[in-house]
Amino acid sequence: MADMLEIDRLSFRYPEAPREAVSGFDLRIPQGEIVVLAGPSGCGKSTLLRTVNGLIPHMYSGDYAGDVRVGGASVKGSDMRDLSQKVGFLFQNPENQIFMFTVERDVAFGLENIGVPRDEMRERVDEALRLLGISDLAQRAPHELSDGQKQRVALAGVLAMKPSLVILDEPTSLLDPMTAGDLVALVAKLRKDLGTTFVVVEHRLDLLVKVADRLVVMSEGKKVLEGTPRDILFGDDAERYGVATPAVTQLQKMLARRGLATTGTLLTPGELAAELKGRNR
Amino acid sequence: MMWLSGGFVFRRGDSPYHRLDPRVKLLISALMFVSTLLVRSFYELLAVIAVMVAVAAVATVLKRVGRTMVLTATFSAFIFVINIVFTRNLESSVLYAVRFVAIVVSTSLFFITTSPDELEQVMKTFRLPRDVVFAFVTAVRFIPVMMLDTIQIMDAQKSRGLELEKGNIFRRVRNMIPVLIPLVVNSVVRSGELAEAMESRAYGAVPRPTSLVQYKSSVTDKVVALAALALFIAGAYSFYYILPVQLP
Amino acid sequence: MIEFQGVTFVHQNGVKALDGVTLKVEAGETVALVGENGAGKTTLVKHVTGLLKPTTGKVIVDGHDTKQTSTASLSRKVGVAFQNPDHQLFSESVEEEMSFALRNFGFSPELVRKRVDWGLGLFGLDEYRKSSPLVLSGGEKKRLTLACILAWDPDVVILDEPTVGQDSIQKEKLAGTIKMLRSAGKTVVVVSHDIEFLWPIQPRVVVMKSGRVVGDGPAALVMQDETLLASARVAQPQLVELYRGLSERPPGPFVDALDARRWFEERMKR
Repeated sequence: MADMLEIDRLSFRYPEAPREAVSGFDLRIPQGEIVVLAGPSGCGKSTLLRTVNGLIPHMYSGDYAGDVRVGGASVKGSDMRDLSQKVGFLFQNPENQIFMFTVERDVAFGLENIGVPRDEMRERVDEALRLLGISDLAQRAPHELSDGQKQRVALAGVLAMKPSLVILDEPTSLLDPMTAGDLVALVAKLRKDLGTTFVVVEHRLDLLVKVADRLVVMSEGKKVLEGTPRDILFGDDAERYGVATPAVTQLQKMLARRGLATTGTLLTPGELAAELKGRNR
Repeated sequence: MMWLSGGFVFRRGDSPYHRLDPRVKLLISALMFVSTLLVRSFYELLAVIAVMVAVAAVATVLKRVGRTMVLTATFSAFIFVINIVFTRNLESSVLYAVRFVAIVVSTSLFFITTSPDELEQVMKTFRLPRDVVFAFVTAVRFIPVMMLDTIQIMDAQKSRGLELEKGNIFRRVRNMIPVLIPLVVNSVVRSGELAEAMESRAYGAVPRPTSLVQYKSSVTDKVVALAALALFIAGAYSFYYILPVQLP
Repeated sequence: MIEFQGVTFVHQNGVKALDGVTLKVEAGETVALVGENGAGKTTLVKHVTGLLKPTTGKVIVDGHDTKQTSTASLSRKVGVAFQNPDHQLFSESVEEEMSFALRNFGFSPELVRKRVDWGLGLFGLDEYRKSSPLVLSGGEKKRLTLACILAWDPDVVILDEPTVGQDSIQKEKLAGTIKMLRSAGKTVVVVSHDIEFLWPIQPRVVVMKSGRVVGDGPAALVMQDETLLASARVAQPQLVELYRGLSERPPGPFVDALDARRWFEERMKR
């Protein structure tokens, strides 16, 4: 079976831009993985994400070379109607992706656009609200919601389309850490329950390293590192590309070099403390 | 700004009037609006205003309507002065001034009891193109967001020593530039992000999109609409044929 | 330097955003203001420069009651860098942007030039001097807004969510700037969710919840109070969590990974 996402030798240059925003990029993501995409600001992450859900080349044109396939079908050859049902895109600012005056109408927005019959739409909207635990907000107006709630509403709207691949573009940057942690836990749960594949752009690796299967690091439009979060964070190159190593991982790495800690997996603070205690005896 | 938000911005309510089909509310407001234009005497106008007050009472928005009346009265005083200067006719001047208040109230009654969602439904009933309806929906949806943006921009610039209220009128207009430019830039950025999000959720993918909710007129709606029409016709008939009041 | 005396603030819509806040920040202190979204942190900050005036209670800044002082004259002493740079950048060029506040505060043209040069140099923005601020990247815009504020040399610098949208390299530079301000004797207030960013700076931590100050003290103490942190929905720094999990440990939690490594190595030698 083909991988969920296949990117082959992809290059893209915006009109009149001096250089390519994405350059010779290859990536394969099997179904059901959570992949974190990292890299310094301006490294081409946003552009890459937009080639996956079809905003590039369907909304933005430019010099496009190579191929992106989702579930085996070429993005370039599909229209936005099909793509919107395969790839969901959660943007950074939840405010700017909620259009309607009530939560349930907004969750239905994409379904209305593709002409889903009313009864089926009702079911899918209710299910999406339930999945995200916001059924009680169905009749609220967007300005009555907290930032965390808005982000959930926006994600419900994305999931109602039943996409097999969901892109999250810095979904937690405007949230406080607890709310951000809840969102990450939710992503892990959705992957488990629905088998959805996730591509997440995120600076806050401390929250994501435990649930991510793979970390891909970009720099200047190219893929520079790819591997499990453990391999990359314990490697020597992560810092060079501005990948934030969580404090506890930094310590684990330092202690491991002196034989004081293991490097089999990335340890949480509690786990590392337990391991150090064990050695003590 | 405050005046506008008090008089025209919807706030959730749970009166029988709020629950009416938005199209019926539009009909009632339209009839009241037309009535204020048809009346020829101050007493007839008072009768129409009495109906408005009754509607406001049913809709439990008396206080808000009262405030709107008081605030509009300032404008009306101006209309009165202009009229009295040019026509030297007290009754017609009063009529014009009070009529202005009545016109504002009739329109405001519709907007403060009709949710944006219902407004959208009304627009769809008139078969306006989807793009027009959607443009309206997003415009209304983002009014509070833009107001918040404006406050934040003003705060940021004041924190850099900008004194908005300083100087003469020209200076004050110039003082607004550091507020207006970021506001415009932000709106442009926001529209860009909205466009991406719309596109990603298949906006415009099929020519006839479906709708999650459907408003159906209940029997009550129909009865209220008929009653409103009957009252209007009866009123117009009696004003014009039974009680012929001539303007002096 | 900054004193809140029983400050309550009620919005027009009746929502109570601050509820009896009493807080004193001395000159030269570095304070982190933490708490979940909606806890009242930004409302508190806006009271310092008189953008908001208390409904009841008093805010005293450098001896002046904010109710009787204009925002402009308070801002001369207290520079606030708000979260979103796009809410303030408007000039044709980066150097114009930096001059704006300086001119408002009546600096001489010569001094304006000097301060602009200094700020651009400090934040590595010299090459953009003539460019429009709008073409800068998110991180550069953020640096520019900070440069704009430091240019008029306020005694107090308040940073509202300075790390949002910043990658790790930029965050490190920012932490360096905060430490520089501290050693220059400035009073610094940082409003941030980013506990991992704040922790190595070791500020005094003020915890807010529903408009109230619920915790206040040195980072090393406040960040160990799990009950307090949980009730205010504030995360615990990873190194504190690790420290709490150890049976044998130093008197205070590790400030950073290097500090922790040093301690573990010492202990192994023994």
